[in-house]
Amino acid sequence: MTNVFLQLLINGIIAGAIYALVASGFSLIYSTNKFVHFAHGGVIALSAYFLFWLFSKLGLNFYLSAPLTILFSSLLGYTLNKIFYRPLRAKKSSSSVLLVVSIALLILLESLVLLFFGADVKIINFIKNNQGVEFFGAIITPSQIAIILVSVILFFALFVFMKKSKIGKAMRAVADNRDVAEIVGISSEKIYSWSFIIGSAIAGCAAILISLEQNITPTMGTNLMIKGFTGAIIGSITNVPGAILGSFLLGIVENFGIWFMPSGYKDAIAFILLFIFLLFRPQGILGIKNNQK
Amino acid sequence: MIDAYFIHLLILIGIYLILAMSLQLSLGYSGLLNLGHIAFFGIGAYVSAILSLSGVPFLISILVAGIISGFFGWLLSLPTSRLKGDYLALTTLGFSFVVYAIFLNWVEITKGPFGLPGIPRPNIFGIDFSSNTFFLILVVIFVLISYFFIHRICNSQFGKALEATRDDELAAKSLGKHTLKLKSISLVVSAFFAGIAGCLFASYITFIDPSSFTFINLIPILLIVIIGGLASLRGTILATIIIVLLPEPLRFIGLPSSILGPIRQIVFALMLILIMYFKPRGFFGKVDLE
Repeated sequence: MTNVFLQLLINGIIAGAIYALVASGFSLIYSTNKFVHFAHGGVIALSAYFLFWLFSKLGLNFYLSAPLTILFSSLLGYTLNKIFYRPLRAKKSSSSVLLVVSIALLILLESLVLLFFGADVKIINFIKNNQGVEFFGAIITPSQIAIILVSVILFFALFVFMKKSKIGKAMRAVADNRDVAEIVGISSEKIYSWSFIIGSAIAGCAAILISLEQNITPTMGTNLMIKGFTGAIIGSITNVPGAILGSFLLGIVENFGIWFMPSGYKDAIAFILLFIFLLFRPQGILGIKNNQK
Repeated sequence: MIDAYFIHLLILIGIYLILAMSLQLSLGYSGLLNLGHIAFFGIGAYVSAILSLSGVPFLISILVAGIISGFFGWLLSLPTSRLKGDYLALTTLGFSFVVYAIFLNWVEITKGPFGLPGIPRPNIFGIDFSSNTFFLILVVIFVLISYFFIHRICNSQFGKALEATRDDELAAKSLGKHTLKLKSISLVVSAFFAGIAGCLFASYITFIDPSSFTFINLIPILLIVIIGGLASLRGTILATIIIVLLPEPLRFIGLPSSILGPIRQIVFALMLILIMYFKPRGFFGKVDLE
């Protein structure tokens, strides 16, 4: 019994770490840009396939492929913002218009993946996962250890960056009040670009870590986005630490749900949790109540 | 041969038209950024397929399909009626993921990924609608009924109150309109007609599986409503014809279906981006997407 409990807890933490990787980049972009960049999931999917192409197709060294993937994802995020979102912002389009465009971009990225790589699942076999490590009776694989370690380091680095660096502070200023930030000389367009670069770099890290553990599929982006968004809402969408906390909570609740329900209903559990939060605490665990939403 | 193909396209246009008009009611007239609409279509398709396969007459199963879809619309409106914009969009989208998960996993009822084959074509009062020509007549009848009702609803006092709620909820409230209830009813009616379209789809194709009711299938419907213009039924009709016919020439180039599918999606996605940039109100739209 305790073994099962521990195993579910570990599985939950690992799922939570993956969701948190998605949610942190997404909520970083949301906090400054104030619209749902749904194509964030597409950035993750395309980056995972980019890694697959470098590592499995071209046979490049993994430790060279990984930084290149992160570079690719941040460039992709930056370009999406420059080509698609920026002209719309200049036309004062509403956040719903930007949301619809971001959905179209997600479909575009997913379709490009389908066109170039086909619909079959791909595997990046970098860490051999056939031998798990026993941990107080629960099994944990090497790639899962890597996910937890790297994501914790990444979240810590992100936290320090947001608190201490000049760009991080400017991001928080724009997130808090764009007009006031502009008055003190922060260019909001520049900060939007930075959010996309950093948020998408995190998406690249997410893509790498996810592809160590799971198969990659063209539609993985949509699924990850739904979970990342749910985690972000539970924690607080405008607050990156909140989004990370909410994602871990989501991962753990989902995995304990398997105790009561078949594993196919994981998505349903996530959604019920989302509903509960929307009804009773729409601003999330760490959020500050405001009347806009 | 050409006639058969033409009839097939007309039937598709009819089914898509009912679905798009029903989305128009929630998205266009009520301003609810509802991205879960494909779930109601799926619920209608599954409910009617299961009923038809166990011998329930067509008219009863289409009605039950609509009512059950409407019921789920009401359920969805409970937690979402206070939400707006982004939150509403992603919550309704999440809803469609759950419905999809249920189609896929409730194997005893839905047969999961294998789908439900052999759904009978309708037979109403002894008239057999199994040929495509007769089926087209049936679809046209349902299109007319749906258009009549949705048109009436949109132009009634209720419709005006909905539009007022969309444009300024606070003002509508201050005039004594029960806005939460209005939005909830609009979602129920919208879901009802999506269920009707789902039933027609299931009995036309005679086979359904969960893959017809995923997020990606929502894109053409969303595109129709946006290109036609929010709160314009005329625009929706025109856009439905365009969007259903547009990818058809691709079929004749002779591309393999593994390439055809993604290209179709890319075309739709690019159209959605371009229309948002150049003509966000669509052809006949009266309001902006807020």
